[in-house]
Amino acid sequence: MSLTFSLSGQVGPCRLQAQAQLAANGVTVLFGPSGSGKSTLLRMLAGLQDCDGEIRFGDQLWQTDAATLPPWQRPLGMMFQEPTLFRHLSVRGNLDYVVKRRGASGGLDSVISQTRIEGLLERSVATLSGGEAQRVALARALLAGPELLLLDEPLSALDHGHKQELLKMISDIARQVPVIYVTHDLDELLTLSRQVWLMEQGRIVARGKAHEELARLDGPLAQRGDATALLYGELGDYDNRDHLQAVTVAQQTFWLPAAQPVAGEQPVRLRIAARDVSLCRQAPQDSSILNIHPVQVAALREVGPGQAVVQLALGDQRLLARISSRSARELEVFPGTRLYAQVKAVALG
Amino acid sequence: MMLSDGDWLALWVGVKLAVVTTLILLLVCTPLAWWLARRRLPGQALLEALLALPLVLPPSVLGFYLLIGLGPNGPGGWLAQWGGVRSLAFSFTGLVIGSLVYSLPFVLQPLKNAFAAIETRQLDMAAVSGARPMDRFFSLVIPQARHGYASAVILGIAHTLGEFGVVLMIGGSLAGETRVASVALYEHVEAGDYASAHRLAAVLLVVSVLMLWALFRWQRKQQSTGVMP
Repeated sequence: MSLTFSLSGQVGPCRLQAQAQLAANGVTVLFGPSGSGKSTLLRMLAGLQDCDGEIRFGDQLWQTDAATLPPWQRPLGMMFQEPTLFRHLSVRGNLDYVVKRRGASGGLDSVISQTRIEGLLERSVATLSGGEAQRVALARALLAGPELLLLDEPLSALDHGHKQELLKMISDIARQVPVIYVTHDLDELLTLSRQVWLMEQGRIVARGKAHEELARLDGPLAQRGDATALLYGELGDYDNRDHLQAVTVAQQTFWLPAAQPVAGEQPVRLRIAARDVSLCRQAPQDSSILNIHPVQVAALREVGPGQAVVQLALGDQRLLARISSRSARELEVFPGTRLYAQVKAVALG
Repeated sequence: MMLSDGDWLALWVGVKLAVVTTLILLLVCTPLAWWLARRRLPGQALLEALLALPLVLPPSVLGFYLLIGLGPNGPGGWLAQWGGVRSLAFSFTGLVIGSLVYSLPFVLQPLKNAFAAIETRQLDMAAVSGARPMDRFFSLVIPQARHGYASAVILGIAHTLGEFGVVLMIGGSLAGETRVASVALYEHVEAGDYASAHRLAAVLLVVSVLMLWALFRWQRKQQSTGVMP
């Protein structure tokens, strides 16, 4: 099922105007600063916020100029920033509430085990921790039998461990159901997303593949202090003695510290932060840095006083380096220049 | 400690009045409180002031206007003709109408506060969980507002039982029809029958304390079980 929309509306002092088409499945991250209208757009898609325009989902018309399908008739599952469990019901009562109205009881047991809430069912929702509450909220969203999941910063209040656990669950779910995931956290974008919509001041200013948007120098992501490139590679050998995993990207081998061999789906994703990449003219000898690769400068852009970000081609993939403007001048960094990139840290995921 | 038959009858009339009034008020105040708590409309402050008026107005003033309104020349009298009687004043029906006005803020206010405390997010979540507006009201709003309903019921009954000025103005003291316990008590005192007055006063005092005690105990228990903050 694909979602197509073209919407506009006024919320308080802000005007929102957005149109886009959503991929059939996988996570699309709606990314932007606070107050850019991400949550409002999600509420409009759910029918919780009045707006003008059209929303089409597959062959269903959710909204036209003439009529609006109310939220309770849209095949959606939703999570808010706060778990928003029904406070007068137990955990089981919360799940039953949806099952009774959406009639998806067939999946109850599998959803309960998928979200690992077996032990919580008889608890009162007031006694749940933040992570537990969001797992219940995720289970409830799934029990709606959704054809589209709308997740509004669901992990922003959780600590790192719970966040990773839920991110994994959401990634798994997104194989079957398209997910629109609102966040302003770059880490969540890097973990989840294949597709990203960038939102600023009530508009979707860019849409595309996450790794391309991350590396685009004229976009907002590459100009951030924590700008990070996303590369795709194949798993290679594992070095038992030094506990290093090889990953091949564009015929170059990156070595990653790993306590044991990495297993998982191919290709794997590598994250490399721009500030962890330095550049040199000659291949350095006797360096402590393991990952030194020949690259070619694709583009350069000044970002802030005395700082530049360089987009580097590694085969057909793109790496970012954040360096000082002085270094850029002294190294004569121009598009086409061949350099060596020293990569201080690489992370999987 | 025994009450006379007349006093039992007066208590019974009072209880009947309190229960009927409170039930009607719950039906009337539920939509009204929801509207006042969740909407912002012009003229709302004035309307709320009028609805709260019985809190501050001397009961005799209220009773006086009700007497005029319910009498043969008022709109109540006009209505009464349809029922084949001359006037609604000095009748149980008249008392119910008077009590509705007099006790309205005591039922309305707790409901309004309870509805205002329900988070919009909860309603939104229920909507995307498949619940229509009416369904949401019964499956979410009423259970989450149950504190408000408990307060409304207890305050509505207790306040109607304690009614005096309005009853005296529009009801008089017809045994079995409009003589309630507070009026019977007043008549005992006027007649110098302090023994009967003591007994009736004690019953009213104990009943009032018991009702408030039950309310506060229940609220406390709800808080400690953590079902709702």
